[in-house]
Amino acid sequence: MAKEKKVRERVNWSKELKLAPGYLILILWVLFTVVLLGWVLAASFSTTKAIFSGDIFSQGIHFENFAKAWNNSNVSTFFINSLGYSIIACTLLILICAPAAYVLSRFKFVANKAIQTGFVSAMGVPVVMIVLPLFGLVAGMDMLNHEISNRAVLIFLYVGINVPYTTIFLLTFFANISRAFEEAAAIDGCSPMKTFWLIMLPMAQPGIITVTIFNFINVWNEYFISLIFGNSDRIRPVAVGLYSMINSMKYTGDWAGMFAAVIIVFLPTFILYILLSEKIIAGVTGGGVKG
Amino acid sequence: MKKNKAMIVTFLAPALFMFIAVFLYPICRTLVMSFFKIEGITDSVSKWQFTGLDNYVKLMNTTLFRTSMWNLFRIWFLGGIIVMSLALLFAVIITSGIRGKSFFRAMIYLPNVVSAVALATMWLQYVYNNRYGLLSSVFRKLGMESLAKIQWLDSDHKFYALLFAYCFGMVGYHMLIFISGIERISEDYFEAATLDGANKLGQFRYITLPLLKGVFKTNITMWSVTSVGFFVWSQLFSTVTADNQTITPMVYMYMQIFGAGNSVTERNSGLGAAVGVLLSVCVVLIFWLCNNLLKDDDLEF
Repeated sequence: MAKEKKVRERVNWSKELKLAPGYLILILWVLFTVVLLGWVLAASFSTTKAIFSGDIFSQGIHFENFAKAWNNSNVSTFFINSLGYSIIACTLLILICAPAAYVLSRFKFVANKAIQTGFVSAMGVPVVMIVLPLFGLVAGMDMLNHEISNRAVLIFLYVGINVPYTTIFLLTFFANISRAFEEAAAIDGCSPMKTFWLIMLPMAQPGIITVTIFNFINVWNEYFISLIFGNSDRIRPVAVGLYSMINSMKYTGDWAGMFAAVIIVFLPTFILYILLSEKIIAGVTGGGVKG
Repeated sequence: MKKNKAMIVTFLAPALFMFIAVFLYPICRTLVMSFFKIEGITDSVSKWQFTGLDNYVKLMNTTLFRTSMWNLFRIWFLGGIIVMSLALLFAVIITSGIRGKSFFRAMIYLPNVVSAVALATMWLQYVYNNRYGLLSSVFRKLGMESLAKIQWLDSDHKFYALLFAYCFGMVGYHMLIFISGIERISEDYFEAATLDGANKLGQFRYITLPLLKGVFKTNITMWSVTSVGFFVWSQLFSTVTADNQTITPMVYMYMQIFGAGNSVTERNSGLGAAVGVLLSVCVVLIFWLCNNLLKDDDLEF
């Protein structure tokens, strides 16, 4: 860090000038993003009338849009649903995938390579290819007509769909941890299973955190599965809920409320990103994706 | 060793079970289903009627499905060119030693973490709105009344409106992959080239591009995989159930099987399965082509 600072202090103007077109392009793009998000944020505090007049703050700032959206139009239900699904699915994913990834990265056995290939290929399978039999199965078992089983189905699918990615991501992570730790543990008489839970899992914590952030974002934003398998407004997550809400608000003409709902849905992943962007960006290219 | 065996089995079992339940079994069943006529999606196998390739033939003869495939191709091809060029351009600029590198990188990737429904709503209700929208107000300020009056979401402009909004969200991800590729190229090459008098453009053409072959392959594969699942954006941008401008195969499948679209002529889950198989074949084909056309094994870095 200190070294970087020192480099920064010396401004080489001829070099910066050469880079000017580059700066210009990036600044324009970023400016557009800021305007897009900023305007929607501003509009969520405005009124429908003010939005249409073109001057957003002509009628003052209205916090009640959020209260209205939260209470009247199910946003709270969708939000709490999504939060619950994401937290449960992310926890299950780690409990299921971390042991599998560890075993795949450490032990030689017959099907190891085949399983890894299978998982990697699964990441490229379009959802259309798997959704029909799953729906037939679940609907055939009459699981979509009861609230609790319907929720269980959604969580099961969120977990299942993310298993290959999570496993492969953690696999590369475990592979990079030195074997010396296990050898030391074995000499001290620690069984392999115990070694995993007590030593390896805590050591893999950075990787687990990164992959959990991705899983959280994925589950939070998941749309197609939720649309097909979520049978009622009571159990739907935010993405699908927002869609039905937008449609209804277009009829009632509550534009400000709609933007408030958009902001509510947008905030959790956005805040996560603000806090952890470095980790997220490093994770995009660090794990599952190899050049 | 025996202990290890028990450990391998218990540690792998849950993940393998999920993989088989959610991927392996459904994939095989979809493949089989695509050769049958199946009236109800929950029908038992005994009620299925084997029809061979009928479902595929029927799909190919359906104008709406052909339109949806054409739209998907346009999204994949045009969108691919737009996204890849912008992503590469940004990646090159960001790795050229500018200040605020991590800020720019983070800002450009930002749309990727936002829910697609929220992002698409922002575009639809703000950027493309012709009363108070971004485009129309900017054009009005610049005095270009004719441009300000364009209805960005009418059937003439809708496809490109959709395409551009989608691409905006996708650039960041592919840019990150390009950046990691560029950063893996050794500084020595550029130094040597600078000593030999090569300018920035020449360095890009003769060093960066050839060494990025493998990264291109990754990017194209990832782009294809996400494009094939094109659904949310299409659903949000379409005003009617079967919108010729925005329909994609996945929307078509959804309409056929789950929706009460006005174009549903017959209930046949086999058709939906055939759509899935066709899309998967496209992904495999692109993957195979990429592997054969972009060989990077002769270059090591």
